[in-house]
Amino acid sequence: MPDDAAGMATARPGRYPPGMSTSLALDACDFGVATGHAAPRRLAPATRRLAARYLSGEMGRRLAQGAIALPPAAVELPPDLRHACAVRCCAEQAPLRVLADELLVGAATLQEAAWHLVPGLGGERSTSHTTVGFADVIRHGLGPLRRRLAERLADPALDEAGRGFLAAAQQCLEAMARWHARNVAELERLHAAAQGEARERLAGALAAASHVPEHGARGFHEALQALWTQWEFLRLCGDWSGLGRIDRILGPYLDADLASGALTLDQARELLAHFWIKGCGWIGSRPGGSGDAQFYQNIILAGIAPDGDEVENAVTHLVLDVAEELHISDFPIAVRVSGRTSPRLWRRIAEAQRRGGGIVSIYNEDLVIRALTGFGYPLAEARDFTNDGCWEVLIPGRTAFSYSPFDALPLLQEAIGLGDGPVPEAADFEALYALFHQRLRERVRQVHADADRSFLGGRSAPLLSLFVAGCIERARGYHDRGADYVVQAPHAGGLPDVANSLLAIRHLVFESRCIDLPGLVAALRADWAGHEALRARARREVVCYGNGDAAADAMLRRVFDDYTAAVGAVRERAGVLRPAGISTFGRELAFRAGRQATAFGAQRGAILASNLAPTPGSERNGPTAVVRSFCSMDFSRLPNGTPLDLKLFPADLAGEEGLAVLIALERTFVALGGWYLQLDVVDEAVLRDAQAHPERHANLAVRISGWSARFTTLDRDWQQLVIDRCTHRVG
Amino acid sequence: MTAHAPRLRHPATAMNDAGAIGVVTHIQPFSLHDGPGIRSTVFLKGCPLRCAWCHNPETMQAAPVLAYQAADCVACGACVAACPARAQRLDGAAHRLDRSACTACGACVPACPRQALELVGERLSADAVLARILPDRPFHQSSGGGMTLSGGEPTMQPGFALALLRLAGAAGVHRAVETCAVCPPERLDALRPQVELWLVDWKDSDDARHRRATGAGNAGIRANLRRLHDAGARIRLRCPIVPGWNDRADHFAGIAALAAELPRLEGVELLPYHGLGGGKAARFGLPPAPCAGVAAPDAATVAAWQAELRRRGAPLLARA
Repeated sequence: MPDDAAGMATARPGRYPPGMSTSLALDACDFGVATGHAAPRRLAPATRRLAARYLSGEMGRRLAQGAIALPPAAVELPPDLRHACAVRCCAEQAPLRVLADELLVGAATLQEAAWHLVPGLGGERSTSHTTVGFADVIRHGLGPLRRRLAERLADPALDEAGRGFLAAAQQCLEAMARWHARNVAELERLHAAAQGEARERLAGALAAASHVPEHGARGFHEALQALWTQWEFLRLCGDWSGLGRIDRILGPYLDADLASGALTLDQARELLAHFWIKGCGWIGSRPGGSGDAQFYQNIILAGIAPDGDEVENAVTHLVLDVAEELHISDFPIAVRVSGRTSPRLWRRIAEAQRRGGGIVSIYNEDLVIRALTGFGYPLAEARDFTNDGCWEVLIPGRTAFSYSPFDALPLLQEAIGLGDGPVPEAADFEALYALFHQRLRERVRQVHADADRSFLGGRSAPLLSLFVAGCIERARGYHDRGADYVVQAPHAGGLPDVANSLLAIRHLVFESRCIDLPGLVAALRADWAGHEALRARARREVVCYGNGDAAADAMLRRVFDDYTAAVGAVRERAGVLRPAGISTFGRELAFRAGRQATAFGAQRGAILASNLAPTPGSERNGPTAVVRSFCSMDFSRLPNGTPLDLKLFPADLAGEEGLAVLIALERTFVALGGWYLQLDVVDEAVLRDAQAHPERHANLAVRISGWSARFTTLDRDWQQLVIDRCTHRVG
Repeated sequence: MTAHAPRLRHPATAMNDAGAIGVVTHIQPFSLHDGPGIRSTVFLKGCPLRCAWCHNPETMQAAPVLAYQAADCVACGACVAACPARAQRLDGAAHRLDRSACTACGACVPACPRQALELVGERLSADAVLARILPDRPFHQSSGGGMTLSGGEPTMQPGFALALLRLAGAAGVHRAVETCAVCPPERLDALRPQVELWLVDWKDSDDARHRRATGAGNAGIRANLRRLHDAGARIRLRCPIVPGWNDRADHFAGIAALAAELPRLEGVELLPYHGLGGGKAARFGLPPAPCAGVAAPDAATVAAWQAELRRRGAPLLARA
């Protein structure tokens, strides 16, 4: 989730590879699945055709740019009210897209929103990296929210900022109702003109959309429409929220409908498929950078509810059915698994994963919950965890979230004299480690100091704040400390590269003593030029993290523990929570500029470790060793988490035995104490073919980190990053 | 000895087993194609056959062997200085390796700055091999996997194979052996109590053609298979199919007939030729494999082979 740092900066109109518009071909070629693992066709042909149209970019390429014009007087308004004015204008002016063959209504049709901007507000950034609360409106309609706003506005003790925020939020809520009414009117018009089967379908859509979100949902179709209206209106206005626990939210409605006979499972799957398909409405709007389908729309499935009951229900399985069949990579799906996960669900997870694309990942939920309660969240809230649209966990519907990424590798490189300073005198390895440790603590102190000023205004989000607990009560917006939990999570990157560098320095300088520290630093400054023998020796003799080697893993554990201790020294300060996380997402690309050659033999410019995965090329013992090394960390110390990226070769997972192997691998990951696993099934040869012939691989999806991307829409650098991450092929 | 001292059943044997030394080419973790589940496959060096399509020519000789990748060599001469046997020399600007002089001591390997040299085959004790395998036990257990001895040919190192199998069995590791079954029957008899699953290769049903393709006839293999089968061993037949060599109707018929003769056979695995070992021979100073240049079969061809085997009644395993 690089946000503006890496991905979004390049997210401007680009050229699509030819062939991206061949929606018919997409349907025929199994939606770009390249692993050879088939899935049953459960959906109606018309639904598959609709999916192919969306995935081909037909809708995304037609987003309206510059369609929203604010009245001139709006410039005089304070930020919240100006933002609300833009939201009202979006509701009134945005082009509608109501299609006669859709079961849900409402479409985010504005190009600026897909660029992470607020339409109508020039270059003003919109909000992402959180999952808001949608359940209350689904259940109770808009009434309670209206009443709460009115009650708060009646409070004479409100300050001017509070009154302005609440008034803005009120306007946003009515704007959503207004936008929905426009959609329903268009739906009525289509319905009146339709005949036969289409008329029947539109009648169903119309019945659902006419009742919600104004009133509480009475069944699955209404609940789905109510969720869609909220989420899609946020998107229309530029705010990208995760969706969270869709099975927990919608499951009870479906269970009731199935029990009463109001819906069949097949009908419910079609409805859900329309939700997934409409979620692809921005595909085609933004090629380049980190992919054209990365909008933080994460879904969490299964796991336990706040009361400890298992959530897994019919919706859980329908979501996997839809993702498996249509190969829609955004929504990324994370399933919460544990020793309690049913064999049936494990099987469905593995079947979907085996198709490739890295669309379905897993959380070790007991470990996550333990880390969250250890951090201080109440158990019931910890049990309800979702994420920010990537994999960083948070409490949904009540959290303002951001994170502070930094690269730890330059800290070590500066400590040994690869920066501006001299090469230090280090009598032994411990003395050298202490120099690194000191810089690490200083850097984390700086991150904490910066976090003190997090969420102190400067941005405005009165619409999104409606769905974040605490904002109305405090009469303060999401960016202004309104949320119940304000989180600024420190995120270190490059830790495996730090550990591998330390291992190499210890081996070369202090153990084998084949070179002294100034000599090694000189070789690194020269990018190893003229020091080929030493480099070869480093590459051959240093056993790196990720090989299941006790000493190597212990080195990373030491760095990990020192990092988490430094972050954990300040759990909360100035109203801001600081759970430690470890990530690079795709920043290992951007980090290259600040890194020198490494002591373990990498040259300048190499793409090094992603997140907490082994440095590419350093692991020689296959995925079981990688998993063992990763799981040797104590992740209860890391409440914001970190993923392991693992790639498997499609042919290795063939048949029932292949499926059983995949399940066993993941169960062992959980049993050994891994935190989050994003597993992709990919053949490097297919990726190279896709580079050469993008037109043949229009919807080929690959896991990046926390999201999946359509490979051919990635920049070349990002494509290389994916290819470089090792494929664990068996011999 | 007190009454409460732990009692080892065969302390002397256990100690001997642990210290037994073998020559191991490679230990492959996360091995998914040599028996059920997630396995650790131990490749033992040495093979009695010389199959035309051999994917692992480095495992043919019993002793360790030096691999040399000419493409990576810059003829810097570092190995010349390191070699105590004078097997490495510079001939003008070209590097020469005299394999008749090379003792595979490995001294040149760390000297090479380009990693063009590699020693294939490591002398390891059985407990050292087991120590590399046991960390993966959680994966073996969750997947129904374990250890597979392969090669080369495991029965070429009968004492070591037996020791390793016994040690692994004592540690509760599931054991499979992949063998060409070209060996005295007594060797299989000795291993059999220590093996939960046999993967026996069947390369050509025609004795003369088998001899032409591998250097040995198949009569002994047939007898060994029958002997294992009748002794109650669990067996999967593994059939490499190589275009132009054994993709013939009479061989497919022979496979089906053999399977019919062995009613307790667990099934037949078809191993389509993949051609990946083709470039290896030169690294070991070996002539190119006779089937070098044979193209790997496409998916349709493999499917046709599978269909033919099924039609003839061979109990094809799903994974094959």
